[in-house]
Amino acid sequence: MKRFVTVLLAVAVGWLWATAPLAQEDMETVPNDAFTSPQRPPAVFVHDAHNEAAGIDECNRCHHVYREGQLVPDESSEDYRCSDCHAETAADDGMPALMGAFHGNCKQCHLELENGPVMCGECHQRP
Amino acid sequence: MHAIYGWVTGPLTWIAFLLFFGGLLYRLVQLLILVRRKEPFIFSYMSLKYSLRSILHWILPFGTVNWRLHPVMTIVTFAFHICLLVAPVFLMAHAILFEEAWGFGWPSLPDVAADWMTLIVIAGAVFFLVRRIVRPEVRFVTSTSDYVLLAVVAAPFVTGFIAYHQLFAYRWMLVAHIVSGQVMLVAIPFTRLVHMLFAPLTRAYTGSEFGGVRHAVDW
Repeated sequence: MKRFVTVLLAVAVGWLWATAPLAQEDMETVPNDAFTSPQRPPAVFVHDAHNEAAGIDECNRCHHVYREGQLVPDESSEDYRCSDCHAETAADDGMPALMGAFHGNCKQCHLELENGPVMCGECHQRP
Repeated sequence: MHAIYGWVTGPLTWIAFLLFFGGLLYRLVQLLILVRRKEPFIFSYMSLKYSLRSILHWILPFGTVNWRLHPVMTIVTFAFHICLLVAPVFLMAHAILFEEAWGFGWPSLPDVAADWMTLIVIAGAVFFLVRRIVRPEVRFVTSTSDYVLLAVVAAPFVTGFIAYHQLFAYRWMLVAHIVSGQVMLVAIPFTRLVHMLFAPLTRAYTGSEFGGVRHAVDW
């Protein structure tokens, strides 16, 4: 009986581990599964290390909320996926397409701060 | 690296494209002035119909006697030139950079297709190089500048291929790719690469003379 419980526990823990959603501390790349046919490897992004190095404390620095084209300063969207709002192809309402949103969030910030990767292959690293 | 990247993708890109488009315009005006001064009667028989007829035959693979006489050269040169034009213009990474700068882009090729087209360009360049060396009639009319020009054209594709596959020294390879592409753009108006602009004009002139004066075909 004791052995049975141990096995059951091990299976349960293994199952939880295997199916657990990607937690931010485990994140190493930006998932690209929302793209029909991704052309490059997913962008390297180690969430916690990045934010520590960049000194980012506010989630909505990246996980922004826009309403009617205007940034809502006090709200954040970390419970959503980027692709929940940003479609793969651009809509007419001025909302950037998904790839433009990613590049806008990462590369544009790096260009402005002159810090962080800006060349294609610096983020889209081949294994 | 940010400073170098900013410099090559900013001011250097502006300079390269201004010299490219400005240079092509300059060469066109210069050519028209030359014709007007030396052989103005050419304008009297220039014909749109005979021009387009000639261009159409020469732009089609095996559309002329000369293309049919040299089938290998025909296949290689058409594959080379088509890939040379299409791969960079419809490369996704280029379209993205353009869209980030200007706010609009255009449809692009899958990376795999552009990758193969790049290999075709490189293979074509190797073919032309070997041809210049081994064919006596070609070697006879070859000077150092022909080899330099071939290298200038091949360089953006070789560096682009290495950078895309991240084979080694990625950052420097990308800078080399950007700069070599700019060198090629600037070289086009001011070297024999100007055939990009002049080839259709040469065909238009020859086609008009053959059609309107000699009453013969030029293909």
